Amino acid sequence: MSPDSIREKRLREPWFAARRDLSPRRASLLTLLSFTLPLLIWSAVSYLPFLWHPDMELQISADRENVTTVYVAGDRMSREFFPEFQEAVRQQNQPLKATLESFDPAAEVPNGAALRRANKKTLRHLAPILTSNHWITEEQAKDDAAIYAAWGEIASGRKIPERPRLSDENLAIVARNWAAMSKVSPAYDSGRFISVPLLALVPQGRPANPDYLPAPHEVVVSGIKEFTAPPEAERPSMWQRVGHSIRIVFGGFLLAALVGVAIGVLCGTYPVFSKLVEPFTDFFRYMPAPTFSTLLVAIFLANDAPKIALVFVGTIFQLVLVVANTTRRLELPLLEAAQTLGANQAQLLTRVVIPGVLPNLYDDLRILLGWAWTWLVIAELVGVKSGLTEFIETQGRWRNFDSVYPVIILIGLIGFFTDQILSALSRVLFPWTARASCKPNLLTRALVFLPRFFQKDSSARALSDTSAECKIEKA
Amino acid sequence: MNALVDPLSYREQSPAVRARFEALKERPVVLSVENLYKTFPCGSGVVTALKDVSFQVYRREFMCVIGPSGCGKSTLIRILAGLEDSSSGQVLLDGKPVSGPGPDRGMVFQSYTLFPWLTVKQNVMFGPRMAGKGSSAEPEARQWIDLVGLSRFENSYPHQLSGGMKQRVAIARALANRPRILLMDEPFGALDAQTRSQMQSYLLQIWRNLDITILFITHDLDEAAYLSDRILVLKANPGEVDEMIEVPVPRPRTPSQFVTPEFIATKYRIDQLIHPEAAHETDSIPFPRMTVAGDDVE
Repeated sequence: MSPDSIREKRLREPWFAARRDLSPRRASLLTLLSFTLPLLIWSAVSYLPFLWHPDMELQISADRENVTTVYVAGDRMSREFFPEFQEAVRQQNQPLKATLESFDPAAEVPNGAALRRANKKTLRHLAPILTSNHWITEEQAKDDAAIYAAWGEIASGRKIPERPRLSDENLAIVARNWAAMSKVSPAYDSGRFISVPLLALVPQGRPANPDYLPAPHEVVVSGIKEFTAPPEAERPSMWQRVGHSIRIVFGGFLLAALVGVAIGVLCGTYPVFSKLVEPFTDFFRYMPAPTFSTLLVAIFLANDAPKIALVFVGTIFQLVLVVANTTRRLELPLLEAAQTLGANQAQLLTRVVIPGVLPNLYDDLRILLGWAWTWLVIAELVGVKSGLTEFIETQGRWRNFDSVYPVIILIGLIGFFTDQILSALSRVLFPWTARASCKPNLLTRALVFLPRFFQKDSSARALSDTSAECKIEKA
Repeated sequence: MNALVDPLSYREQSPAVRARFEALKERPVVLSVENLYKTFPCGSGVVTALKDVSFQVYRREFMCVIGPSGCGKSTLIRILAGLEDSSSGQVLLDGKPVSGPGPDRGMVFQSYTLFPWLTVKQNVMFGPRMAGKGSSAEPEARQWIDLVGLSRFENSYPHQLSGGMKQRVAIARALANRPRILLMDEPFGALDAQTRSQMQSYLLQIWRNLDITILFITHDLDEAAYLSDRILVLKANPGEVDEMIEVPVPRPRTPSQFVTPEFIATKYRIDQLIHPEAAHETDSIPFPRMTVAGDDVE
C-alpha cells in the first residue's frame, strides 16, 4: 500500500461511528471546541448586531411632556418602542421651532425660571455623547459651562462627534438651538440663559442585548475591576469573599464526609446498620435542606455556623446512601476469599472492605463535593448574607449583571478545577485501579512527575511503569 | 461406539496403579464428609441441593468433583470451605468437625479474587498477615511466588496480570497459609483452552512438589481425568454421590496420555454418568431444512 492510499484511508474515517474511539487529534479538537463553541456563540450574539439584539441602548435620551417614565442614556428599551419614543419627541419639537426662530432675546418671557431649568436639562442630554467622545470627563457631565461650550463647537462645525456620531437631525437641532442660545450669551452664564423652550434632541441609540446578557469584554472588564478592587470598610474584597465561600462549602462538606463515610461504610458492610439507618435516611433526604434554614439559624445562631450546617444537612443524607451502595458493590467473593485466608470480622472491615471501596468512595466524594457547591448559594443567604452570594444578590438587584457573571464563572472554575485536580490525584493515590494505568491527561502527568522530579522514590516510579507493564500482561 | 470402548474397562488397573491406590488408602484421611444434606427453601417447598453425600479424601490425594449442572458441586465446596452451612451431616478435617471459614482450608475461586489494591507479593502475604505474621512472611511469600513462576511480577498489581497469572497468584496465596487441604472451585473455568491446559500442568507440578491435598471442582471431563487420583461423580436433583471413579491412568501425567485407552475409558464413563441419554437425543430432534443460497430444498 502506498503512503498516499494510507493517508486517503485515514481521511475517510467517519466522525459518527457508534462507540468507536476518535483519533487523539479529533478528541482534543472536540474538547477544545466544547469550551470555545459556547464562547463563540456568546461573542456572536453579543457582537453581531444582526443576531438577536432585541433592545436599543440609549445614547441620547429626552424627556417627554406629561410622561413620568424617565429614560437616561445607557437605559435599554425594546426596539419596537424606540421609534415611538423618537416620534413623540419630534412631535414635541414641532411647535417649538417657530417660537425659537422668531424670539426676541430682550423680551421678558413669563414663567422664565421654570423654562430655564427645563432648558438646562435639554442642554445636558448631549453630555453622554460628549463623554463617550472624550471631550469632557465623567465628572464634568454636570458642568454646564463645558457642555454649553461644546454645543457651540458642534454647531459651528469645529468639532464633530465621531463615537458615537450625532444624527443629521440632531446636528440640525444643535445648530438651531445654538443660533438662539448664542443670541442670549456666547458663553455660559446662569443668569443670562435662554428662557424660550429649546428643541429637545431626538433620542439616539444602538441595538443592544438585554442587560442580563452582557458582552464578553464587559464581563471581563468588570471582573478585573471587581477582583482588583481593594477592600473597603464593611465591604470585603472579592478574594475575601471567595475564601469565605470556599470555607463554607468545604467546612460543610468535610464534616458531612467525615460522619457520612463512617456511617455509610458501616451500612454497606453490616446489614444491621443498613436496616437501622438507611430507611430513615432515605426518608429524610427528601426534605429539602433549605427548609431547615430558619431552624438552623435558631440552633446555630448567626455567622457561619448555620451556613456550614446547611451544606452539611444538604450533603450528608445523600452521602450516607451513596457510600453505603458503593460499599455494597464490593465483590462478595473478595470477602469470602479473605475469610478463607483467615481474616476475622474486624480484619474484613479494615483490611478488605475499606481498602477495597476506597477508590470508588473517592469518586463518590468528588461527585458529592459538586452537590455541596450547589448548596452554597442557599447557605450564604441564611442568616446574614455573606460571601460571593451576597455580592451576586446586591449586584443583581442593581442589574449590574456584568459584575454577576464573573462571580458565577469563578464558582464554576473553582468547582471544575477542584474536580480535575482530585481526579488527577486519584491516579496517584490509587495506582492499582485500571484507570490509573491508562493514558493520563496533562494535569495528571504534572501531578505524577512533579514528585518524581523531587525524589526518585519507587512508589512514584511504580505508577509510571504501569504502561510498560500493560504490554507484558500476556507474557 | 460401544464396539470401540468397553464401558467397564476403566475399572481395569495395571499392577502399578493398583499398588498406588492401595498405598493411597493407607494414608490418613484429611477430609471426611459424612451424610451431608443441604436444602434450600424455595417458594412454599424446599429444594434438596445435596442428599446424603459421604466421602473421604486421603492425604496428598488429588480428587475432582464432577457432575451435571445443578448437582450442587459448588454448594458442596462452599460448605467444605465454611462459607455456607450444611442442613445436616458433618465435615471433619483431620477428624475434627469444622464450622465457618478458616485458613486450614485454602480456597481458589472461579472468579478472580485477588485484592486489587495489593501487589502480587502483598496478596500472597495476606493470609500470614491476618495471622499476625508481619514482615517475617515476606521471604516465604517470595518462595510461593517463585513456585508459581511469577517472581518478575511480585510488585505488579492484579489488573496488570492476565487471567492465568491471576489464578496462579491465587493458588500461591492459598498455599502461603499452609492449609491442610486446597479447595478449588472451577479455578480454570474462565480461562481460554490453551491457558487452561497450561495451568493444569502447572497445578500438577505444584501438587507433586508439595505435601498438599487438593479437592478440585470442574465440569470438564478432560480436566477431571487428567488431574485426579479419584473422581467423585455427583448426580443432579438431588445432588447425590453417583460413583467414585479411581482413574486408572498412571502418574506422572502428561498431555500425551489423553489418547491412552485408560484415559478414554475414564472419560467415556464420566460422560455416561453425566449425560445418560442426552448425548444421543440430538439425533432425533427435528431440524428445519435450510439452504444457504435460498434455493428450494426440494
